[in-house]
Amino acid sequence: MGQISAAYTKAVKELLREKAALFWTIAWPIIWVLIGSFSFTGSAPPQVIPYIKGSIAISMMVFALMIAGMSNLPASIAGDRQNGLLSKLISMPIKPYRDFIGRISAVITLSLLAAALVIVIGTAVGARFTGTGVEIAQAIGFVFLVICASAGVGLIAGTLIKNLQGAIMTGVGIAVITSAISGLFAPYEVLPMPLQVFSRVYPISSAQASIVHLLAGPDMVAYNPLTSGQIALTIALSFALLFIGTVLYSRLGWKLE
Amino acid sequence: MFAIHVENLVKTYDSRRVLDGVNLDVPEGEFYALMGPNGSGKTTLASIIAAVKTQDSGIVEVHGKKPAQAKEFIGYVPQENFSSPKLSGKENLVYFANLLGYSRSQAKQLVAEVLKNVGLSEEADKRVAKYSGGMRKRLEVATAIFPGIKVLILDEPTTGLDPAARRSFFSMIQEIMDNKTSIILITHIGSDAELASRVGLIDSGKMIAEGTPDELKRKHAVEDVITVETAVKADSVLSVLKSYSINGKVVESETGYKIYSRNGDRALADVVRSMDQAGHKVMRIEMARPTLEDVFFRLTERHLQEATG
Repeated sequence: MGQISAAYTKAVKELLREKAALFWTIAWPIIWVLIGSFSFTGSAPPQVIPYIKGSIAISMMVFALMIAGMSNLPASIAGDRQNGLLSKLISMPIKPYRDFIGRISAVITLSLLAAALVIVIGTAVGARFTGTGVEIAQAIGFVFLVICASAGVGLIAGTLIKNLQGAIMTGVGIAVITSAISGLFAPYEVLPMPLQVFSRVYPISSAQASIVHLLAGPDMVAYNPLTSGQIALTIALSFALLFIGTVLYSRLGWKLE
Repeated sequence: MFAIHVENLVKTYDSRRVLDGVNLDVPEGEFYALMGPNGSGKTTLASIIAAVKTQDSGIVEVHGKKPAQAKEFIGYVPQENFSSPKLSGKENLVYFANLLGYSRSQAKQLVAEVLKNVGLSEEADKRVAKYSGGMRKRLEVATAIFPGIKVLILDEPTTGLDPAARRSFFSMIQEIMDNKTSIILITHIGSDAELASRVGLIDSGKMIAEGTPDELKRKHAVEDVITVETAVKADSVLSVLKSYSINGKVVESETGYKIYSRNGDRALADVVRSMDQAGHKVMRIEMARPTLEDVFFRLTERHLQEATG
């Protein structure tokens, strides 16, 4: 427990003191919540606008979770490898899985902090959400899947890309590109058919659609993401990404040759 | 039983033998320097002893155990700065103490003591990003001297430090170490290696010489070294200098030349006179007793720095 808490405390402090990480994970999504809430509501009927704002806030919350997992996590792994900390840790009587749990818990903490702030700011600028207690619990489950999938991608990038800048840029690149092509930044219905398919298969956009469906209403999503097949696919792929990332990290992440 | 025992160690990267049958024994409490240029295999050897890498063949033991089973005895300070610049010195040390299993209160007490030992108590709460290179290295050594450490491995700890910081660093090492802890210093700097009680010279993955600094100098570099800086570099300067150097060997450096003599005091005066007679202005001339760098040169016909570069 001591090693997990040591790794967790260090990672949390580092993340909270890293201005770039805070900007991209928290400030950037909030800026887009503000821009989106005042600019992209268009000619929608007034009674719908709060839910459009809710849907924008959810999308940006998902983006914040993606950046935390896909960029901050690999930055932490690649940075420690590059600066020699990994050599130091390998020479010490430490179990790698404890370091892994500590790191990933720190990313989850930052993710949840970012998600909460995005939702609070969204609500402050007029976003409204629907949903019963059960639907909120389901939405939290989908948030967890987004964290799993993002952390999986982050672990893969952090393990395979040895260079710090390379790992960060790859993580940000994957987050931005997949957000753009999966309908996180644009309505699903304007995507071309192949990207609509991608949007349903990509677990993060699928989970995002599910959260919007649950908390902003079915009218905010162009398809029903809550069919059992779609949910099963989202769960399976989220855990698959996390599993692949964990296996790669445990086999290669603590290996210097 | 030796603190460190290495026997016929072989390590290969991409079909290149980085370590080629290395043998090494370091008794308990000894300060041993492993000196060689970059690419000589010294860092690889240190990382194998520190359980960071594994060998292809051969035996490595730390206090009679395989390195992976002796991690609690090993304090390893890699060449790269591994402390977190975003944390304070104290936070960094608490992190390492917690990793080693110390509780929060134990860690607090231990860290205060260790910080005092490395002379960083006053700077404990400053972020490491604001530390000088020397302070940061001291902090990193502090992570490797927690109780129970029996073997301290320092990989190029003074790289990037100015001479004053280097002196201060080694004074600290001498102060903090007891006579039970063995130290392995990896370096390519002869003056650092001189501080060790025994030195191993490594080149191209092989130990080429081993002994106390004095033994090595007596055995392999009996000559004094005269460094001559002239206003111009010319063949005629070279021919004058060759006549005073053993076997006519003159080594050209960026600013001048080095010649080797068994009687440096006399050669010094002769060189000045001959250069004057030949009309060559001597800007600076000095004689030095042989260094470990000179020993390395004698054995390999290469300068440590040239080999390093």
